[in-house]
This record gives sequence, structure tokens and C-alpha cells, in this order.
Amino acid sequence: MAEIVRDKADRAPAQKNPARAKRRYRAPTFLPLWALIGGVIVVALIGSYPYYGTNAYVLSLLGKFLCFALFALSIDLIWGFTGILSLGQAVYFGIGAYFVALSLKINYAMDHPTRYGGKFPDFMEWNGLTGLPSFMTPLTNTPFAVLCALVVPTLLALLFGVITFKRHIYGVYCAVITLAESLILQDAIIEYQAYTGGFNGITDYGSYATPALLWFILAVCVVFLIVSRALTHSRVGTVLKSIRDNDVRAEFMGYNVANYRIFVFCVSAFMAAAAGALYAAWVGIISYLDAGPVFSIEGVIWTAVGGRGTLIGPFVGAFVVKGAEFFLSGALASWWQIIVGGLFIFVVLVMRDGIVGTIGNWLRKWRKGATLEEVMEESDQRAHDRQLDWQPGGPPPADEPVR
Amino acid sequence: MTNLLEVKGLTTRVSGFTIINNLDFSIEQNELRVLLGPNGAGKTTLICMITGQFKPASGTIHFAGHDITGWAPDDIFQAGISRKFQVPNMYETLSVFDNVMVSLQGRRRVFSTLFQRLSGTERDRIWEILEFVELAEKASDPADSLSHGERQWLELGMLIASNPKLLLLDEPTTGMTEDGKHKTAELISKIAQTHTVLLVEHDMHIVRQIGKRITVLHQGQMLAEGPMSEVMNNETVRRVYLGKGKFQ
Repeated sequence: MAEIVRDKADRAPAQKNPARAKRRYRAPTFLPLWALIGGVIVVALIGSYPYYGTNAYVLSLLGKFLCFALFALSIDLIWGFTGILSLGQAVYFGIGAYFVALSLKINYAMDHPTRYGGKFPDFMEWNGLTGLPSFMTPLTNTPFAVLCALVVPTLLALLFGVITFKRHIYGVYCAVITLAESLILQDAIIEYQAYTGGFNGITDYGSYATPALLWFILAVCVVFLIVSRALTHSRVGTVLKSIRDNDVRAEFMGYNVANYRIFVFCVSAFMAAAAGALYAAWVGIISYLDAGPVFSIEGVIWTAVGGRGTLIGPFVGAFVVKGAEFFLSGALASWWQIIVGGLFIFVVLVMRDGIVGTIGNWLRKWRKGATLEEVMEESDQRAHDRQLDWQPGGPPPADEPVR
Repeated sequence: MTNLLEVKGLTTRVSGFTIINNLDFSIEQNELRVLLGPNGAGKTTLICMITGQFKPASGTIHFAGHDITGWAPDDIFQAGISRKFQVPNMYETLSVFDNVMVSLQGRRRVFSTLFQRLSGTERDRIWEILEFVELAEKASDPADSLSHGERQWLELGMLIASNPKLLLLDEPTTGMTEDGKHKTAELISKIAQTHTVLLVEHDMHIVRQIGKRITVLHQGQMLAEGPMSEVMNNETVRRVYLGKGKFQ
């Protein structure tokens, strides 16, 4: 609020001072009215579904999609706002999910002995263990497991950030390294199946998909949205965006680019881990796929389709793509993968700003008084121009003489 | 008066080529120095060395009492050196206002920018700078909607915002119209009244308009240094740089 007041005070002497009358600067507001109203309506619609909805399948999807959206939001923070493309974000999601699933499974097994009477997870028994491994006993305590689910991925992200960003590794190399990270975790999960459930994953640990958990997931999403807004709206957010736009300039403006990258990478990993932890509790089944590269790339696609660099984009993207998948894949099962791939290519070629970003561009233009056709033409042209810029090595320097 | 920047015995090699060869170079406080030289003389390389982009093979760089040889670019900035790139270099999707805001002198660490808010004085300072570079009207436009010349001026504004002890300007008039060049030269003259400036420039009109003291580099070595008129009449300089035939 203080900022708005100061902004008004700043514009007040406009009538007296002709030089100041030229200033047409409006500081962006933290929470615009339309976002507040729209947000409340959407939250109310989702939150009250257990009351008016009868379809249990839709209810289960709602909780799932919210976790996916939170995961996509974590990708958007690093990719859309800071320009770090990670193809291994599922590592943090997966670790968070596995901690919670393991803890729930261990507790479940105590009350539900296996066929042979063992009071420890059945997949461990199948793989020749005779009891719960001692290093896993702390996970019996679920709050401790949740704490691990959040802290371990964040520390891992810190470690990863220090070894890559501090050495000036970013861009394509960073994407490849994160992809490898995700492959390693996936293989490790399959390899150590006595402790992780391997190919089958961890199943049968009870269902927690109650309205209360849905509300909790919803609340976590809202909190993370507000935190993300605060982060991207603040001074540090402006620095992050400037690193995305031009990391060399930011470095020569005295910013330690690596530290900012590490910081946002850790925040993002924390968010992905929270999404994973909630997901594990909600769906009641976790497998190596939830930590693998395919899921990571899916998250990137949701973010791109929804609109990277916007906070609502990941939510729209996750709900649209995943929603379409669940409702259309029955009819178009064998085609579905191709459709998602085609959608990604379409967004990259024609709508570089995604659904939300493109609509935002139209609205901004519209306010300035262009007709909708002009606006759309402009938007196409811009997408085309950016496509031309998007070459290996970037655009040619402006001052290079044409030979 | 002591020298603000002191380069001693600097040598740079890039993949076997010696770009800068045992160069001694210094700038005094509040000086406006022009750096001249034909292509490949090592002008931009010298700037890259001073700002920490390249590491020297040998030699030292002292700045305002610090030995900054081998420092990281962001630390060198903190010591007080700001650099303008040859191609306009800014944050394209940020607004003009935000571009200057990010460049403001102040705290640069992650956790100190996390909860930092824009103060009234900072806001006034941003407007002052935007008016100085005549971009106040475009404050809320994204930087990539600016013309080439306006981008160059915005970057100059960003440099002033960081309030450095030494400004390194690498060919700020590249690709500008004659009017634009003239205006840029005026801006630089104004900046030079309060700041120490090292200007790399090819355009002799601009050099004549603002140059006082000139250093000529050739093949990584200092060829001549002195006031405008003296350097312009130096036989060697004419031969290697200005082209002998043209002046006789």
C-alpha cells in the first residue's frame, strides 16, 4: 500500500511542473483487483467441489492437477523469470514424494502386516529384507519425513547450484546436466528396489484423498502463488528478470549472477518438493516415473503452454494440458502423446508467450487502442521475429557490417 | 594528483595471439580520456581486462587503491568501474524505469535485495536520470521497444545510475545517425564533468568534439599519448591510423 501512496504523491505535482506532466509511469500493483476477484472465484469453485460435485474421479483429478500446477509454477520461477531451463525439476518433486510415500507406507505396514506377517513394507520383504532397514527408522515419524521431503531437495538444489552456476554453467549445458540428474535418480530408484519399490513404485499405503487434504493443497498453492508474486514483484524479482534478459549486463552491474541463480533454484526446488509431498499423500501411488525426465519435460510443456513469465500461466497450462489428456486420452489414446508434442511445437512457433502471455499481450495492445486484428497480426509478427532471433549463438551483433 | 586507474606491464594472450603487449596505461581522477586505435589494436580487450572479463597473462591493474587484477566482474563493479558495451546491452523485457532501477547504486547481495523497497530519494534519482537521457516519457515502455539510439542512451543512464568512479564507454555512438552521435557526445561531455570517463571511439568528429587527452593504441602497445592537437600531428599516428595519404 505504501508504494501506491508514494506513487500518487509522485504524480501529484504534475499540473505545476510541465516536465513532470510527461511522465506516464504506472508502478505495477502487487495484487490487481481482477486477479483478486478471479482468484477468489476459482479457489471457491475448486474448494467447494466436494459439496456440489458428485464425481469422485473429478475430485481426485482436482487435487492431482493442483500438485502438477504447483510443480509447473516451480519451473516457471526458474525458467520463466530467471531463464534457467531445468529438465530435471522432477528430481525435487520425486524426492519429496518418495519421502512422504515411504513414511506413509512404513506406518501403514505396521497396522497391516504382509501376507507372511512382516510388519514392514511388502516390497522390502519381496526383495529379501528381513526388517525395516535401520537408516529408514526415522521415517516412521511422519512429520520428520515431511521435513526431510522439503529440506533434502532444497539442500540438493543448493549443492547442484553451487557446482554448476558458480562455474558459469548455464543455458543448454545446465539443461543437459539437469536432465542427466533426473535420469540418474530414476535409475537409482529402479536399481535399489529393496528400498524404493523399484519399477512397481510404492503403492497401497492408504488413501488420504479427503476434502480436508484438497483444501490443504489449495491453501498451499495460494500461499506459494502469493510468495512467488512477492518474490517476482520485489527488487530481487527485478534483478532475476534482468538476469534472464541479459546476464552479462547484470554481472557488469555488480550483481553476483550465480548467487541469484542459486537462490531462485533453491526456492523452486522447495516448491517442487512441496508439490511432490502433497502429490504422494493425495494419489497414494508413487513410481520412478514421478522422478524421471519425462515428467520433468511435461512440466516444462505445461509452463510453456500456459505462459512462462506469468504466475497464472503454469496453473492454466497444467489444467488445460493435463485436463485435456484425462478427458481425451480415452478417445484418442494412441494419439495423445503426438497431440501433446504438437501442442508444444505450436506454442513454440506461434505463441511464444503461451496462453496467458498471449492474452495479456492482446489486452495491453487493446488498451492502447489498436483493433484486435492489428493486435493479432502484431503478435504473429513478434513471434516470427523472435523465431528469427532464436538461432544458435543468438542474433548477429547490430554493428557488424554486412559483407 | 594520483592516478585513478593504473595498468602496468599488462599482457594478454588469446589462443596464442598477443593482443596486448606489455602495456602501461593510467587515467587520472576526473579525466576524460579517449582511446583510439585501428581495428585489432586491443581497445576492447583492454576494457575487458579492466572489467575482469578476461584474465591477464601478466601485469597488474590497480584501481583506486586496490589491486583488482583477476577479480570477478561483479567485484570490480563494486570497486567502482562501470562498463558500457559496444552493442546496446540492457534488459529487454523490463521497462525503461526498471532498467535504471536495477542499475541504481546500492546493495547487490541476494538477501539484502530480497526485502529492499524503492525509497523516495531513489525514485527521484531515477526520474532525474531518465530526464537527463530524455527517456522520461518512455519510462513504462519495455526496453526492446526503444530505437537503437535510445537504447544507447538508456545504457548511459544505467551507468550513471550506478554512480561509478570510472566509466568505460566502448564506442557508444556505433550505428547512430549524425544527430544521435552529436547528442551522445553532448551527454558524454556532461557526464565527464562529474565522472572519470574512458571513451573508446572511432568517429573523428566525436573525438574532436569532446576529446581532450588521447591515447593511441597500436598492436597492443601504446603508440602515442597526449593532448588532441599533439597526437593528431604525430607522424607515426598519422601513418598507422589516420592514413598518411588522406592528410597530405
